[in-house]
Amino acid sequence: MTYKVKLDIFEGPFDLLVYLIENARMSVYDIQISEITDQYIRYIEDMKALDVNVASEFMVLAAALIEIKSKMLLPRMSTDGDTLLEEDPRTELVQKILEYKRFKHAAELLELREEQVRRVYEKPKEDLSVYTREADEYLNLDLKQFVKAFHLFLQKKKRIEEIRMNYARIERQKITIENKIEQIKNLFRFKGRKRLSFRELLTQGGGRHDVILTFVSMLEMARQKVVTIRQNVNFGEIIVSLNEKSGGKGTREEGENVS
Amino acid sequence: MTSKKTIKSAFESMLFVWGEPLDVKVAAEIFNIGWREAYEYFKELQAEYEQEGRGIQIREIDKSFQFCTNIENSEYIERLCSPVKEKRLSQSALEVLAIIAYKQPVTKGEIESIRGIKCDRVIEGLMKKGLIAEAGRSSGIGRPILYGTTPLFLKYFGFKDLKDLPDIDDIGSIVHEEEAPDGVDIQQISIDLIKT
Repeated sequence: MTYKVKLDIFEGPFDLLVYLIENARMSVYDIQISEITDQYIRYIEDMKALDVNVASEFMVLAAALIEIKSKMLLPRMSTDGDTLLEEDPRTELVQKILEYKRFKHAAELLELREEQVRRVYEKPKEDLSVYTREADEYLNLDLKQFVKAFHLFLQKKKRIEEIRMNYARIERQKITIENKIEQIKNLFRFKGRKRLSFRELLTQGGGRHDVILTFVSMLEMARQKVVTIRQNVNFGEIIVSLNEKSGGKGTREEGENVS
Repeated sequence: MTSKKTIKSAFESMLFVWGEPLDVKVAAEIFNIGWREAYEYFKELQAEYEQEGRGIQIREIDKSFQFCTNIENSEYIERLCSPVKEKRLSQSALEVLAIIAYKQPVTKGEIESIRGIKCDRVIEGLMKKGLIAEAGRSSGIGRPILYGTTPLFLKYFGFKDLKDLPDIDDIGSIVHEEEAPDGVDIQQISIDLIKT
């Protein structure tokens, strides 16, 4: 006898076990462990073919069933007569099944209830802001007060502007290495020379930031083999010479590569 | 001293404006009357609506009252607001929820031991829906999180409070009876449980 049941209807191993017991018209208190275990394992085989992940949790119960099955084979009576030596190995399982059935039943009751309540409609919480006072209240002022307030505002603005005049706003230097390289190349072209000292590359009054930027740009140009850098002595003048190849067309390509 | 008639009438108006379940405590404070008194008035109002079989009924949820439609009119409302949104809990969600509702506060381990299967995702889903919430931590090893139901759970299933949950202990009592005799009693259980 083979079972063809859609397996995803079972919510867990107990659900399956309960189904098998009920289907076999067995009493929960007198489970034919051997028969049920066989059926259960056959199910798991089917499940394995479908979904290995689910089977892992079902395996635990399968193992428990087999353990009970083996225990059932052992005599539970003492040899001399009818004194019970051991508890029925099924007791724990029966308790668990009943516990599970109890909550499955509760779930069914909840489902019925859900179905009922679903048919009762409520009003979602109303937007009560129509009735509650708004934050922007009307200003209860006469003209004089209003003019005075406006004057105060103007005065304050004037004072702030006076202070501002004494301070310059410093913009962050936005010039990039790419731009600087372009500038340096233009400088070579403008001067019509193949060789310039590092000092000559600097922008007049550019400050420390410009020095660093120029230096890094120079290194970048050297890396791109646009220029060759030479320094004869420590702390001496750095001589930047334009490489022959990179004149004209070549420079352009290099420039595009960077940006 | 405001008359009882005025207060009841006011409560009715308040329920109408509020929409959501109105806390008896809040209503009582507005009239500066005792909680019990306010509760009685709400109960009277509820009874009046019920007796007259009005299209609007008053339901009690977690010490709050709310206007809702008469269940008998659901069909017509569905026709008015079609298509109606079908949102139901899955079988596994209902099972986990049942365990939490009846055994709360309960740990995930206990839930999983009853169902024999992992419940992480189901619990997560129920938390997201706001039907359950963390209810402290167990004193057991690892101090696992305890779960309990929320007021939204009561509202979702239309329970007044947790005592309003349907009784499932009739099955529970049988569980504790050791060595139940086979025969009539067992037959009874299976009839109760199998709803087919």
